[in-house]
Amino acid sequence: MSVVTTTARQDTGGTNTKTLNRIVIYGLLALFALFYLMPLFVMLVTSFKTMDEIQNGNMLSLPRAPTFEPWLKAWGETCVGLTCAGIKGYFWNSIKMVVPAVLISTLLGALNGYVLTKWRFRGHTLVFGLMLFACFIPFQSVLLPMATILGSLGRFGVTLQNATGLTFGLGNPTVNLVFVHVVYGLGFTTLFFRNYYEAFPTELIKAAQVDGASFFQIFRRIMLPNSMPIFVVTVIYQFTNIWNDFLFASAYAGTGDSMPMTVALNNVVNTSTGVVEYNVNMAAAMIAALPTLLVYVLAGRYFVRGLMAGAVKG
Amino acid sequence: MAFLEIDGLKKRFGSVEILKGIDVDLEKGGFLVLVGPSGCGKSTLLNTIAGLETITEGEIRVDGRTINDLHPSKRDIAMVFQSYALYPNMTVAGNIAFGMEMRGVPAAERQKAIDKVAKVLQIGHLLQRKPSQLSGGQRQRVAMGRALVRDPKLFLFDEPLSNLDAKLRVDMRIEIKRLHATTGTTIVYVTHDQIEAMTLATKIAVMRDGEVQQFGTPAEIYNNPTNIFVADFMGSPAMNLVPATIGGNGGGLSVVLQRDGREPISLPLAKPPAGLSAFQGKPVIFGVRPEALTDPEGAERNASNIATADCHIEVIEPAGSDTFAVTNLGGKAVVARLRADAKIQPGTMTPLAFNLTKAVFFDPATENRIL
Repeated sequence: MSVVTTTARQDTGGTNTKTLNRIVIYGLLALFALFYLMPLFVMLVTSFKTMDEIQNGNMLSLPRAPTFEPWLKAWGETCVGLTCAGIKGYFWNSIKMVVPAVLISTLLGALNGYVLTKWRFRGHTLVFGLMLFACFIPFQSVLLPMATILGSLGRFGVTLQNATGLTFGLGNPTVNLVFVHVVYGLGFTTLFFRNYYEAFPTELIKAAQVDGASFFQIFRRIMLPNSMPIFVVTVIYQFTNIWNDFLFASAYAGTGDSMPMTVALNNVVNTSTGVVEYNVNMAAAMIAALPTLLVYVLAGRYFVRGLMAGAVKG
Repeated sequence: MAFLEIDGLKKRFGSVEILKGIDVDLEKGGFLVLVGPSGCGKSTLLNTIAGLETITEGEIRVDGRTINDLHPSKRDIAMVFQSYALYPNMTVAGNIAFGMEMRGVPAAERQKAIDKVAKVLQIGHLLQRKPSQLSGGQRQRVAMGRALVRDPKLFLFDEPLSNLDAKLRVDMRIEIKRLHATTGTTIVYVTHDQIEAMTLATKIAVMRDGEVQQFGTPAEIYNNPTNIFVADFMGSPAMNLVPATIGGNGGGLSVVLQRDGREPISLPLAKPPAGLSAFQGKPVIFGVRPEALTDPEGAERNASNIATADCHIEVIEPAGSDTFAVTNLGGKAVVARLRADAKIQPGTMTPLAFNLTKAVFFDPATENRIL
């Protein structure tokens, strides 16, 4: 936009130059958009083609006889490693991991933000600064320590099972992943909520205190109902990150029945028996990408609004 | 024993003393206004009474009960905030009932209380609305409703009118005064607006830098300010504070005001304060309110000590109800308040009547009143 206004100001004479500028700008934007959308387009068309058409046709051409067969195969039949039951099981694995991880990390982030802005204690800036480390720390550097911790938790689970008959989920790979994602998501969720609550009127908390509301009653009745925009931002951010995570997923749940979608997708593509079924691979990749797309479509409106609220007021 | 008693209250943040020993008390049904410039600690003092801030030293008692360490909700107080602090996610009814809900009052009883308060404040038609759908004045009423519904021992108001426009502010001021008169509640009210303080209060505490400068009735504060700060802060237009010297005049004393390029004015004092004789020949600050400096016809008939002197009028400001005339005395602009129809021209020498019974004198060194 700034390019448009400056050139318009320099050139006082011609509407022609102005139109030309417009054409150049929109042309460039369209080009970049096209470039950006190209892989998605190829994936989408390939996933509706038959193998025959892929091998003999043009990559960019539209499918001559669109078929859902690759999608159905990817969902229910394709081989992931040695088991050939499609990716549906792994899709649910991801859902089972992502929903609790997102909800827990978001709620804890909200609670942290609430404490760090409205119940300040000595050294609150230091605590917040330390939490921000979680945002910047390279995840590779924590792989091994985290593996050790998860190992101890697993052993503790076995002890618990011997004593009570229940592991309480300790040692379960999905539970492990939820734990890891909650821990590493906390830095971001805390940052989001702290900045949002920084601008939240403190008089409301004082009024609620005079009204006799407790710490958690204020949180539940006053803070949370008024945090919709930032709540949506955090959920989208966390959902996308956790759903797309490959590093932790492959490190802590890389084999067996509880592997998440991302790892399974990798295994589908790497399974080398006979021809490479590009259409099935593309369909599987599309299925893997759908939930994040869906979240953006449903809540994208709030996403921009929430980001603005945090940025402008905070 | 007073209803609200604050003894030696101190508040420190680290090494910074915000409140430096406050002693204030208020009778039951009284209206105490804490007034002062921003940063004087008046809101902090209110927050300590509410229990939203802890105190370092001292004691706060309401109706004989020490409330120092009680949680805000246990102090039997209600508070109206500057921003009104209405919960945006709840309806007006929900806002008013929130406190009762937290205390576990049954729903039927809550409804009864809401209806009663809505009737008093005439907000019945707003009960189902959200705060964002209300005007400033309506929000103000709801905030008062939320406080009223508690029927507390003590009401706390934190600059409740400062977010309203000028006209609405006057209306709500009268409303608050009426509410106070009809319900007989005890109120502590914080403002930086000295007119609000004068009109509403039964007792005023003028504060500066965490100290109470003067505590008394509005009339005491206005007529007998203890120091230059109080004299200057209270009243609009402000009191004229003119550098002067005290002259001996046979047996009596007189106040001598310098004028540039002209003979000084010497005004004989019939009943000077006792301490003033020590200042003979020394500089003092002569304080006279604009309404005590007027045209000779408009001067108070039964004032015992009126002195008239010709003054050079520099500017006149007709304000409709009065005419203000500005002259220069002792190197300072001095405002006189004249009748609206006073015959006066700028640039002329005009006789002005000084009502010296209403005049006050301050020591320039200590800034305190000479009594």
